[in-house]
Amino acid sequence: MKKRNYYILSDGHLKRHENTIYFENKDGKRPIPINTIYAIYSFGSLTVTSQSLSLLAKEGVSVHFFNRHGFYTGSFYPRETLISGDMTVKQVQHHLEDKERMYIAKAFVEGSVRNMEKVLSYYDIDFNTDEFLGMLYDAGNIPEVMGVEASARTEYYSHFDGILKHFKFERRTRMPPENEVNAMISFGNSLLYSTVLSEIYNTQLNPTISFLHEPAERRFSLALDIAEIFKPLLVDRTIFHLVNKRIINEDDFTGELNGVLLSDSGRRKFISAYNEKLNTTIKHRSLMRNVSYQRLIRLECYKLVKHFLGVTKYRPFVIWW
Amino acid sequence: MYVIVVYDVSVDRVNRVKKFLRMYLTWIQNSVFEGELTEADFERVRAGLKKLIEEAEDMVVIYRLQSERAMKREVIGTDKSFSGELL
Repeated sequence: MKKRNYYILSDGHLKRHENTIYFENKDGKRPIPINTIYAIYSFGSLTVTSQSLSLLAKEGVSVHFFNRHGFYTGSFYPRETLISGDMTVKQVQHHLEDKERMYIAKAFVEGSVRNMEKVLSYYDIDFNTDEFLGMLYDAGNIPEVMGVEASARTEYYSHFDGILKHFKFERRTRMPPENEVNAMISFGNSLLYSTVLSEIYNTQLNPTISFLHEPAERRFSLALDIAEIFKPLLVDRTIFHLVNKRIINEDDFTGELNGVLLSDSGRRKFISAYNEKLNTTIKHRSLMRNVSYQRLIRLECYKLVKHFLGVTKYRPFVIWW
Repeated sequence: MYVIVVYDVSVDRVNRVKKFLRMYLTWIQNSVFEGELTEADFERVRAGLKKLIEEAEDMVVIYRLQSERAMKREVIGTDKSFSGELL
């Protein structure tokens, strides 16, 4: 991958000069060659000029903003260049027809459950995959499918304390996360949503028409759908790596908003591990070449495109190694 | 591939060359750029440079490397360039 994700953690200005992007902060002026930018993630307080935005839009670079607590605020989603009315119509059709929508929603949950199993099996922990898949098969409507997803995740999370050599997890808490592991899960998930969104931007899919989550429910809900499949691989494994290798420790968290959040140093560590994960490559079985984990997300989008167009039926990504 | 671009171009064109290379590569020091390029971007850079310079007077050298790992880089003195994804 030649284009890179840039993560801006310090405060500063984003400017356009000589047709490229400059990031300026108290340490100086740092040029970022425009053609090397895939997406920008901004965590500090960033001043962006409209000139730089127009250049970023021209190159199709999305910018994701997070507030100072690390919560997702929104994205600069440039004017779409890959538009296809046909694609949108088909996507909507699949959403409106109950049978079609259920098929895709169930596939997302199936992928998610199978990947949870894969992650746990690395630690020799058994997971009731068959039971959840059975429940999934019997589910008759979207809330029930969501229910299976939720109970699978609860069971999955209950094994975390057995994996983590450090820190206590207990149970999933959010808004605000009550302990360190929850803080990392929340932060990782919001990073992943924006990563998925950047990938969707590069396809003809419409990010607001989703299948598992209700489209009206939240922002770009298709990104939430696809993120479900990749959470075990990209977020949870990053957490296990950081904790069990003792890369991250108590000093990397702060108590804030009646909860626990990653501090500046913690965020830096998390992001660099996460970015490394995204750039990890694996030999793809049918493409017969190396692809990065980030690329796997794009391939997932392409599979959906093919499904909507009726070329090949969608099967969710499951860790095959 | 990883490339190192070194140029010696007449003053009236030097800024244009710098400005062009800035869009693709990292500035290292005066008249030197380096960075990772795809095949396609490499062709773009090469074609762009060809257009900008006066071939009778100027010279640009492009060193091509398999990858960044194929290179041993040593800096003596103060490095004024920046790289890395975390800012």
